[in-house]
This record gives sequence, C-alpha cells and structure tokens, in this order.
Amino acid sequence: MKNALPVNESQLINAPLLFFIVNACQIGVGIHGFQRLIYQDAKQDAWISILISFVFAHFLIFIMIKTLEMFPSNDLYGIHEEIFGKLIGNIFNCIYIFYYSFAFLVNIKNYIEVINVWVFPNLSSTFLGASLLIVVIYAFNGGFRVIAGICFFSFIFTLWVPSILFIPMKYSDINQLLPVFDNPIKDILKGAYSMTFTIIGFEIINVVYPYVKEKNKVQKYAHLSLLATLILYLAIMLITLTYFSGPQLEKTIWATLNLFSIIKFPFIERVEIITICLWMIIILPNLCLFAWSAHRGVIRMFNISAKKFIWIFSSIILICMLFIKSRTQINSINDIFSQFGFIIVFVYPLFIYLIALIKKSLLKRKRTN
Amino acid sequence: MKYMKGLLLFVTAGLFLAACTEYRLLERISLVTLIGYDIEDDQIDATTVVRQINPEFESSVEIHSETAKTSKGTRVKADLKTAKTLMAGQLRVVLFGDELAEEGIGEAIHTLAMNSEITTSIYLGVVEGTSKNLLESEYPNITDIGQHVFNLMDHNIKQQQMISSTLHEVVRDIYSPLRDFTLPVVKKEGEYIDMSGIALFQGGTMVGMLPASDSFYVLLIRQNINDGTLQLILPADLADSTKNKPKHPPKNFPIAIDAINSKRKIKVMDHSKNEIDLTITLDCRLLEIHSSLAIGDQKVTEKIEEAMNKKIESEITRIIKYSQEVNSDIFGFGEHFHAQVRDAKLTEEKWHELYPKMKVNVKIETEIIRSGVVE
Repeated sequence: MKNALPVNESQLINAPLLFFIVNACQIGVGIHGFQRLIYQDAKQDAWISILISFVFAHFLIFIMIKTLEMFPSNDLYGIHEEIFGKLIGNIFNCIYIFYYSFAFLVNIKNYIEVINVWVFPNLSSTFLGASLLIVVIYAFNGGFRVIAGICFFSFIFTLWVPSILFIPMKYSDINQLLPVFDNPIKDILKGAYSMTFTIIGFEIINVVYPYVKEKNKVQKYAHLSLLATLILYLAIMLITLTYFSGPQLEKTIWATLNLFSIIKFPFIERVEIITICLWMIIILPNLCLFAWSAHRGVIRMFNISAKKFIWIFSSIILICMLFIKSRTQINSINDIFSQFGFIIVFVYPLFIYLIALIKKSLLKRKRTN
Repeated sequence: MKYMKGLLLFVTAGLFLAACTEYRLLERISLVTLIGYDIEDDQIDATTVVRQINPEFESSVEIHSETAKTSKGTRVKADLKTAKTLMAGQLRVVLFGDELAEEGIGEAIHTLAMNSEITTSIYLGVVEGTSKNLLESEYPNITDIGQHVFNLMDHNIKQQQMISSTLHEVVRDIYSPLRDFTLPVVKKEGEYIDMSGIALFQGGTMVGMLPASDSFYVLLIRQNINDGTLQLILPADLADSTKNKPKHPPKNFPIAIDAINSKRKIKVMDHSKNEIDLTITLDCRLLEIHSSLAIGDQKVTEKIEEAMNKKIESEITRIIKYSQEVNSDIFGFGEHFHAQVRDAKLTEEKWHELYPKMKVNVKIETEIIRSGVVE
C-alpha cells in the first residue's frame, strides 16, 4: 500500500488490548448525564433506546472494519488519500482531524464543568484545563503503547465504580419501567439518536487498526468491547430509571453523580467527590487517544514531530476553552458535537464503505481488462 | 532535552505541592448539622445548629437564628455572626415549621436539591410548632441537638418505625405527578423531642397529619418491610376458642407483633371503575400476648390471625380513606395505575380528581411464623 505510513514494529499492540482501547474511548463524560437526554424523548423506554443504538453501533463497527480490511495496514486517513487522491483526501482528513479535536475539547470542557460544579466552585477552569493538558502532553509523549497502557489501567482501576451503583437500588421502584413500549417507536428512535454523544468513541478503530498485530481478531475484540459498554450503560440506565421519578430525572443534569451522592460508607461520606476526582483516570485515555488520532491525520499533511504537535494542539485547545464559559454554551457545543458526531460516526462510514467497494470493483475490472 | 524534562518535572511537582485549592481545615470552619426553616411575616426564618470544632476545648454547639427573603440570604446573615466559615457539607437534617409546611415547602426543597454541597441522603421533617422554638429550647439531657435529632430520625427510620424521608425520596415524589410525599413530624415534649406523627402533603403543601402510631400501617402500604413493631387490640371473644379459659377474662387482648417481612401487591382491577386491589401478606413474630391463649394450638393461631387480619384491614382502610379525604396519594397508587394501564394519559390534575373517588379493596394475610420460647 503506497499510502500507508510506516508503523514501527515495536509500536504494535496485541488484539486483546483493543478491547480496552475502544472501551476507554467510549466511556467518558457522557456517562455522567446521558440518562436525562434519552429520557426526554423515550421516557421509561429509554433502556430500549440504548439497545437500539448499540445494535446500530455493532453494525457500524462491522462496516468500519470491513472497510479497513480492504486496505490492510492502512488507517482511514490513508484510505481517504487512496480513494480520493491527495488533495480531496486531505480535505476529508481535515474534517476528521477537526472531529477529533472537537471531541477533545468537548470532553475536557465537560469534565472541568463537573469539577467546578461538584467539587471546587471557585477554582479557575483555565487552571484546571492547563493542568489536565500537561498530564495529557506527558502521556502523549510516551507514544501509542503508553496510551494503550493507560486505557488498560483506566479500565482496571475503575472496575469498582459501577459495582457500588447497586447500593442505590434499595430506593428503586420497578413500577417506573412500566408499561413497556408505551411510547411511540418514533420517540424511542429519537432517544437512540440522543445516545450519540455517549456512544461515540468506537470510531477510534479507524486510526488504531494498523497498529493491531492480529488483524483477524479485530472484529471479535471490537464487538466484545461494545458489548461491555452496552452492559454498563444498560445497567446504569435501568438503575437510574427505577431510582428517579420521571420529572425529577428531567431536571437532573448529572444523574449518575446523583446516584453516587446517596451512597455513604462509614469511612467516607461523600463518595461522589471521590468518583469525580477518579474520573480523571477515565478521561485521560480519552483525551490522549483523541489527540493522538488528530496527530495521525496531521502528519500526513505536514512533517511535524509528535512533540511539537502536542504543544501546538494543547495551546489551541486551551485558547478555545477560554471562549466557552457558561453552562448554556457548554450545552450548545455538546449539541453541535453530537450532531456532527452522528454524521461522522453513524452516516459517513457507510458512505466510505460504498465508495471503497465501487473503487475496488473498478480497479479489478481494469486489471482483468 | 534534559532541560525540558527537568522543567516538566518541576511544573508537575509544583502542581502537586501547591495544589491545595480550596482547603477546609476542621478547626477553621463551623459545621452546620441541622437547619430549621420557619415563616415569619412572609420572610424565611432559618435556625441553624452549628458545631464548632476546637482543638483546645471540647467542641461546642451554637444555635443561630436569622430572617431573610431567601434561604441563602439567611446563610449570609448567619455567616456575618460566626467567626468561622459555615459549611453545609455535614448537614444531616432539615426541619420545617408547620406554618411554613402549610404554606408550601416545594421551593425550599428545590433549593436543597440544587445545592451540590448537600447530599441527597439528608433527612427532612416537619416540626409541630416552630422549629426555632424546638431548637432554641433548653434540654438538660441533650448536648448536641443537631446530632440528637438526626439520631432520633435515623434509628426510627432504619428500624422501620417511621417513614423514610431522605431528600432524594422527597424530591422524587415531589416531582412525580402521580405521587405525593410524607414527612415525619417531630415535636417538643417537655424535656424531650418526640416523633409525633406523619405529615401528608399535596404538591408542596401540608394537608394533613396522622399520629405516629399509624406509621407502621403507612409503611405497610408504601413498601415491603422487614422490621417494625405493631401493637393491636383484639376483641375479647378470642377467649372462647382457647381450652384453658382465663379465670378473669380481660376486656380485650392486646398483642404486639414484630414484622419479619411483608409483601404488598397492588392490582388495578378495572381502570374504568377506578378500583384497586391491595393485598398485603405479612409474616410476623408474636412478641406479647395474654398467657391464656395457647399459640401451639393451630386453631387458636388461626383465630388470632383472623382477628389480626380484620383489625389491620380496618386500620388500613381508615388510613387510606383519610389520605383520600385530604387528597394526598402518599402510597403511590397513581404510579401503579400508570404502570398497569396502557394509554392511561394520567396527569396530575386528573389523578387528583380520580384519587378521592378511588375504591381500594384491602386484603391482609398475616401469618404468625414464630412466637417466643414458651408456648
């Protein structure tokens, strides 16, 4: 493949690590408050919306990997260049780079907002952002294998978090889930659409793919990872739906954090403070992966070292963060991002798959002629 | 390169070492453990119980009372009076005077729920009289009134002698259109503080009150329970069934039972007729009974169970009637109605129209699982 960037043998990862990468990339800030967004449309059938959205996600990750398999040892950026040529391909690459940068910004901004609201109301968000960015820069400089390692540890270290969510279940009322399917299917689908913000992240496979050693196992681990995320989201959704009453949930911005706030241990009374701080470990691989994905696109256009890139990237993000201040602004960038993400993650891969198929068959015909 | 690494190390170390942003030293803050709200000429009167930690002396408890338009306003005023910053993170109980409760406490509860500093596991309660009076009185046996009221509520709620009223549950019920909430009532009783009853709310306003002795029944209708003690007075004709009749037959047989577990079932029979079947099965342990009634005898046990069923049924019917009279659906029947009837399209107004007219068929099935060590 002429457009494949050389991947150093020592930077390759084993396929099972893909499970942690996709999982880490999916679970981010969305999980704090996705329940409300879906409930607004699908009401008590919100959990069905989650199931539907994951059916689509499974289908799309299947398509994505199929596309990648047509051009082995190449990522989406290379595929763009191969299909559309250098110029148009790079325009598409720019959209993707912009998408990953946007995802980075949205993640970091939402997390800082949570810290500001729940833990430190008076701490400057720029200071928080800058310190987070320094950690990201440090991790980023370690290279891809270090980032994969962070994904693994973020998964292991946070395994206990979902398990304590069973404690609030003593306030659950199963009646809140009934009657099932009482809402029009249109609303349930709308709810599935609202899942976009929370579910996206698995498109990282587009960039990670060339780094996986055993290519034939990619499908298996990517789907397993989606399944793990599904179980987590579904469990949290069901607990939330039975724990809150409907109109209460509509008013609760971070329902998951509210779930934590009723938990009390003899040795620690405010569990939500601990989990919010611990969430940095969950956010960190997200941020690193997004920055790294953007970097993979940029190096196709400019000859820039990773170190230089991450400093420039971080400065741009920091400057952008200065312009977003209030909750309403954050909400509106979240909305824009989830619409943008829907197109990039749920619509665009189908399009590129079709183009790739046509291109391949044309090439074949040319060759046989 | 080496220079860069050193710089990064320096910056990170600096961040960690100087990262104490908003520190809260225990000796430099005062902890609010209890707040009581009253209404006074259209203004909110807040009485706060503040615990001061002092490393040199014993920690002390102060009580401040302030009046302002908003509850935050009262906090600012209270702050002006204390030498140490007030922190609400250790708040455990919020009380409302009954006058304020009758006027409406929906907004106050909304404010509490909005504040991330306060956990959703604090208890709410209503005071008979003003909370200011309750908190500012002298009690010779109580050193820390904030902690005392919290313990009083906590152990009663944990033992299921009183309905649970955590902020979360109240907020859940207040926002739910098909459900109303209840709060426990506390009262100053001489030198002590009593839990005297249950306050029934509609929307955010108090509409009625039940005595504390009814709380077991209310709990029985509201949820499945596994604790709690109840005393019942059974009719005298029970004596006829026993073989060894007492020489001096008492006028009636008071008994006491301890719930082991209960299960309630609510079934909407015919939604056009607005009728609900409430079946409660109660397994219990006999704690106290007249010695002449032999528990070992199957027949006697059955008779006792039957008498108990009748008694509990009539009490529960009375309580449901009362809640219908004041139109406060504290048992969440509306939610069951909504859950079991498709396309019910219930709204808050519609449900409050339906609820007082609803027919509830109560059926109790008690079973005495065990009695004491003698028969």
